[in-house]
This record gives sequence, C-alpha cells and structure tokens, in this order.
Amino acid sequence: MRSIGFLILILLILPFIAGAQILEGVVYGKEKNEKHPLPGVNIYWQGTNKGVASDNEGNFKIKKGNGDHVLVFSFVGYQQKELHINELASLDVVLEPNLELGEVKVVHKNRGTYLSAIDPIQTERINSAELHKAACCNLAESFETNPSVDVSYSDAVTGAKQIRLLGLEGTYSLLQIENMPNLRGLATNFGLTYVPGPWMESIQVSKGAASVLNGYESIAGQINAEYKKPDGDEKLFLNTFAGASGRLEFNGNGNIRVYKDKLSTGIFVHASDQSRRNDENSDGFLDEPLSRQLQVFNRWKFNNHKGYMAQAGITLLTEDRLGGQSSFRRTMQPLPTNPYGINIENNRIEGFFKTGYVWPNNRTALAWLSNFSRHETNSFYGLNDYDAKETRFYGSAVFTRDLNVAATHSLNSGFSFIYNDFSESLYTNVIDRTEQVPGIFSEYTFKPNHNFTFMTGIRADFHNLFGTFITPRMHFRYNMGEHITIRGSAGKGYRTANVLSENNYLLASARPLQWSDDVFQEKAWNYGFALVQYYTLWGRELQLNAEYFRTDFQSKLVVDRETSASHIILAPLDGKSFSNSIQFDLRYQPVKRLDMLLAYRLNDVQQTIGGQLLEKPLTSRYKGLINFNYTTNLKKWMFDYTIQFNGGGRIPRYPGEGGEQIPEGFYEFSPFTVMNAQVTKYFRYWNIYVGAENLTDFRQKNPVAGADNPFGPQFDATNVWGPVKGQRIYAGLRFTLNYQ
Amino acid sequence: MKQVSILFFILLVGAFANEALAQKKDMAVACFKSSMDCANCESTLTEYLKFEKGVKDLKVDHASNTILIEYKANKNTEKDLAKAIEKKGYKAEKISKAKYDEIVTASKKQGQGHSH
Repeated sequence: MRSIGFLILILLILPFIAGAQILEGVVYGKEKNEKHPLPGVNIYWQGTNKGVASDNEGNFKIKKGNGDHVLVFSFVGYQQKELHINELASLDVVLEPNLELGEVKVVHKNRGTYLSAIDPIQTERINSAELHKAACCNLAESFETNPSVDVSYSDAVTGAKQIRLLGLEGTYSLLQIENMPNLRGLATNFGLTYVPGPWMESIQVSKGAASVLNGYESIAGQINAEYKKPDGDEKLFLNTFAGASGRLEFNGNGNIRVYKDKLSTGIFVHASDQSRRNDENSDGFLDEPLSRQLQVFNRWKFNNHKGYMAQAGITLLTEDRLGGQSSFRRTMQPLPTNPYGINIENNRIEGFFKTGYVWPNNRTALAWLSNFSRHETNSFYGLNDYDAKETRFYGSAVFTRDLNVAATHSLNSGFSFIYNDFSESLYTNVIDRTEQVPGIFSEYTFKPNHNFTFMTGIRADFHNLFGTFITPRMHFRYNMGEHITIRGSAGKGYRTANVLSENNYLLASARPLQWSDDVFQEKAWNYGFALVQYYTLWGRELQLNAEYFRTDFQSKLVVDRETSASHIILAPLDGKSFSNSIQFDLRYQPVKRLDMLLAYRLNDVQQTIGGQLLEKPLTSRYKGLINFNYTTNLKKWMFDYTIQFNGGGRIPRYPGEGGEQIPEGFYEFSPFTVMNAQVTKYFRYWNIYVGAENLTDFRQKNPVAGADNPFGPQFDATNVWGPVKGQRIYAGLRFTLNYQ
Repeated sequence: MKQVSILFFILLVGAFANEALAQKKDMAVACFKSSMDCANCESTLTEYLKFEKGVKDLKVDHASNTILIEYKANKNTEKDLAKAIEKKGYKAEKISKAKYDEIVTASKKQGQGHSH
C-alpha cells in the first residue's frame, strides 16, 4: 500500500515541475483546390504520445520539448504530413486529401506500448516493437510485458491459457481480429494460440465498455489483433524458434504485389511442435501436452486509391494435443486399465471479407465487415468424451456521416447479423442449438473542440432465444490543460454463455460436470474512469495513468467447485457478482534509451457461490509489474527484463476431499513472482534473440491433485493458479526483407 | 538457473563495455551532403548505414540533406561509406565537418517550413 501512497504523491507534485515552449499554427485541408481550416486533425510529436487536435478554425497549440523534432499531422481522409520543426514560428500547414479508406492507422515507434491521448476510449496500443520484447509465439505470450492483461493456465494438462482483463475471464472481453469478433465458442480454450505472434502487426487493448459498432459483447473490454497487411513494406519474413524443452516453431509470411499498387496478396504459414515429454515435477503427468499445430492464411487487398477498398482472406488450421500421464500413448484406448490420457483435436477453417467506400467529399463512408468459421473438436479427457461442431457467421454494415463540415457532429449507424450453430455431445447428452441475432445500432460523436469528445451509442438486437434487448454505451474524453486527460465510460454488455464449449477443460477432474441450462445470456454493467498525465521531467516524457473499473453482473455463469463433493456445478448466478479493478502505471526513461514501466493493480472480484458471497477463486488479489527495456545506440542490441508480482488468492475446494484434517493453506495460495528476460541482437536483415521465461523456475506445487490415482475420486487437474511449466530457455531467429 | 543469470550479466556488461570502449578507440567522422527527399528515405538510409562495418553513431537528416557517420577508423573508410550511400540510390558528396556544421545550422534557421 505504501507504493500507492508514493504514486499519489508523484501525481500531485508533477504539475509544478514541467515547463516547455509552445508552438502554434493553423492546419488547412485542400479540397477542389481551395483550402479551408481543418478541425480535429491529430497533431503529435513523432516518437512520443504528446498530441493535440486542431480546433474548429484549424488552430492548434502544442508544447515543444527538447527532444521533439518532427511534428506529424494526421486526419482520416487526408495524407499524413510530417514537418521538421526547428524554431517556434507560427505554422501554416495544408493537408492533401487521401482517398484511401482510413483504417486503424498504426504508427510505428520505438516505444512498444503507448496510451493514446486522443482516443475517447481508454486504449493501450501494443505495436511491433513491443511484440519483439517477448519470445514469439502467439497472442497469449504477447501480454507478458503488459500491465493490464493477465495470462494464466486454465488447467494443468491441456496447455490451454486464458487471459483476464480487470480480473475477469477472457470470455468477458471481446476478442477481435482485424476489428471482427473471433476466437469464441469452440475456439475459446485454445484460441489465443491460434494467433501467431509474428503474423501480428499490432494489438489494441481497451478496457470497459466498447463502441456499439462492435456488438453487444465486451463486458470487461476489447482486444483487437491486427495482422500484417499485404500492401505493407515487408516482402518476406521468416522466424524460427526453439525452446530447450523441445518446443519448435516456424513462422513465415510474404507479400506479393500482384497488380501495380492496387492488388496485393499475403501468404502466412505457422507450424509448431512439441514432441518431447516433460515432467519436471515427476508427478507422472506431462507439464505440457505433446502438440502439433499447422496453420496457413492467405489474404488479398484491393485498393483503387479513389475511395474503394476490399480485403478478403481464408485460414486453415489443424491442431492436435496429447496430454495426461507421461506413459500414455496415442495408440492406447481411454480405459481405466490404461494410463490417464487426454487428446484434443481441433480443425478449423475461417474466412473474412471486408470492403468500404469513401465518398470524394470525405464526409461520408460505407463499410462492410464479415467473417465466418467452421470449427470441429474431437476430444477425450480420461473417460470423458467431448465432441463438438460449430458454424458461425458475422456480418456488419456501417454508414458514417459527418453532420457538418467541421465534423463537430458525426453519426455511425448500421446493422449486423450473427449466426451461430452448435452441435455438442458430452457423456450421454447431445446438445444442438442455433443462435440468430439481427441487430441495429447508431452512435453519435460530439467533438466541439480538440479538448473534448463525447460519444454515445445504442443498439437493439433481436435474439431468437433471448428476445429483444437494448445495449446503451457512453464515453467521454476531456483534456484538462496540457498535461491531464480524463476519460469516463459506462455501458451495458451481454453475451451468450456457451456452458460446455467454454468450460470443457473442467473435464480434467474426477467430478463430472452438472449443468442446468445448455445456454443462457449473461448481462453486466461496466463503469470506468481513467486519468492519464503527461509531463516532461528532466527532458524526458513521464506518463502516469490511474484508472478504476467496476463491473456489475445481473446474470452470469458461475462455476461452482466447492459446494458439491460429487459434481462441478455450472449454474446461473443466484445473488451478486462484481469486479473492482484499480490500476496505476508509470512510464519513464530514467536513463537514455532505458524505458521503464512500473504498474500495480488491485483486483476485487466476488460472486455468490452456494448462497455465500465469496472471492472469485484462482484469481490473484493484485498484480505488480516492472519492465525494463534497454537498447544500445542505433538499436543494435536490445535487453528486456520483466518481473511480475502476483498476489495470493482463494483455492476452491470441497471440504470433504481433504479428509478429517484440513491442512494449512488448503483454501489459499500465496503470492508468487515470475521473471522473464530476453536479449535481441539486430543485424541488417535478421536478428537473433535468446531468453528465458520463468527465470526463477517458480511452479505451482502439485497442480494435479490425486495424480497417483487419476481414475480415483481425488483426481483434479483444474485447480491451477500459478505456472505449471518451469524455467524455459529459448532462442530464435528472425529474417526480414523489405520492399524499397 | 545460475548459469542463465551469469550469461545474462555477461551479455549486459559486454554491450555496455563495447560502447564505452568504442568511444576511446581511434574513431573517425565522415560527413556527406546527399539527395534525400522524404522522411522515409531518412529512415531507410539510417537502417541501412547503421549496419555498415564499424559504424558507432549516425545522424541522417533529410531536411538539411546531410549525413554524419562516426565509425572506427580501422574497420571502415570514408570511400566505402560513400559507396554504401550510393548503393541505396542517394548522392554522397563528401564535405568537411565544418561545412556540415554550417549547413545543419543554416537548415535549422530556415528549416521549419520544409515539407515533404
């Protein structure tokens, strides 16, 4: 707690330290050879997140620090412009129109993660520089250096990892790929490993209610991953990775310019293999399953540079996991006379199509986004068979219109459609269901000047199983002076709890699942408030962030492992469930080229289980994170070091299973620390990296309860709160060839 | 475990020492006037030149169209550096350090209106 006090002190003192020079000017847009003042243009210093926006008359004022050299002007519909600023004379800047549809523009900077001062929603942007800090390999591992997202093991046998945002499971965050919902339903458990790290260009993490444009989900927040674009500079990229524990990976992608600068295609390949059996704690169970994954992705982009753009792609994936006791072999039948085994096979095909047109006046735009997936799972956990098939389609049309020339008022409206068909079988139950959800939405944005944005949206969805429901959302952002940005948000979210497909890892337990509803709707309100401050301290930027989010569930799926000796009960919430999350971050460069991040978060997550309001089990009460990133001059070497302090929490256990004497610490796990480090050496076309995950080799003791008798009543591999795998040393190689 | 931290430490010390020593050894400076016309050229050239042999520091500026390279005299020559710049398609007209300073200062004086 003392560290929080210290942080607050810093927050209070800082406004008096800073001070710098002010640069002023006017920014114009060029249209039909006439220039007119352009409001709302984003103006920022390259390589920093110090930015402002122009006001109604196109005027702007921005502070110039010692290190600020290049000023960037960017605005949807106009070409980005960069100016060298050497003195503080007033500026007149004219932007040329750009007919390409404005996608989420990713600005490449050396700073890996930054918090936007302009976006009305509290968003962390993770770019390729940050992605280089972690080993490789997939979306789950990309959050190792991130203070907001926690990654933990779901269980001790399948190797599945889950994320938590605001202390809530990943299912409460809307996962998107290229701004379209993805990795849900049957892909929930292993979906994070379906996004190879080297394919990604950037990730955006936003907390709290999201825009209604993306649907009625996103209760805790939203995570969007952008893949590399086929018209990017990269011609060829190759990555190989080897871990000392026997993990091998290969990733490659290449871009081909098929027709001038108009049509391009990208081909992506991913292969990973774990064929060595590791059982470091000698409990007879593999620490990670043997696994193999193959994935190919082909995408196309057409852009006529006159306002029309279209993109399409298709992905094929096959994955196999074989876990359980190390003596189990693929050829063995799942029988009590054989060792305990787990086998999960996933096959998946998915595709997407999106297109958009921007009218020449740049005030009107139309976009269509759609994706589909077909996913098949065949699995057994010991004697439990679980097989499922899922077909899903998502489509959304958005019409954008600025209501006045200055774009003070703008409106986004449209409709969407979701089709989701499940066919599952577990034990002797066959469960089939189909969801069909047409919906309409509208979002209004009011931006009277560069210091203030207010955004409010509403949507109505017409669900074939749950009827009509309304989703209201609201966001605002206000710059209080030059150093402080405040944000607020409130909104309702809904999601369909897929009781089995999202929880099938619970089958790695002696207690069978018992559930009352195959499917029902979860509902929650989320409120958030954030305060971001930017200062110049001894010539370098200091960024401070403080935020609070509260989630209140009206309806929720509760996993109850502690009121019944015979079953794990999956039932709708009967009582209260909420989450409070408070987080502080500090980012600074204490020494030239040494980036430092200090973060601390408190999680208070509670829910009613068996009539009692209890802390959510297997959730750390706090998390602290320290990350150092050092690069040598000209960035030929890069060093990364991360340490995570995870708080203790509650273990859900049925009292009977401990026998008469309940040992100390039976219901509680202690705080633990995890360290990661990596060194990268850059060469002209390639770079090489060496690192270690979980440096101190911290492991949860006995992650598999009753391991000596896996078909007996004590067996449970799902009470996992800490790392299952020990220290992992790895090395890898990246090769990049760019178009000139 | 222990070996890893030792390895890490050595690497870290190595990198710092490398940099510190480089300052002392016979360093040379080469200055060029070039022909870049956009910020992109600046970054392309920076990315390329920094991996030329012996290069320890680098200032590429497209506004004044100048390049300053600090390098180890026993590892590279002015001539080869000029060749590297030309290989990327830009002019490399050798200038003296004094001339370089003059151009950069002048550019800073009038520079802010420069656009791309």
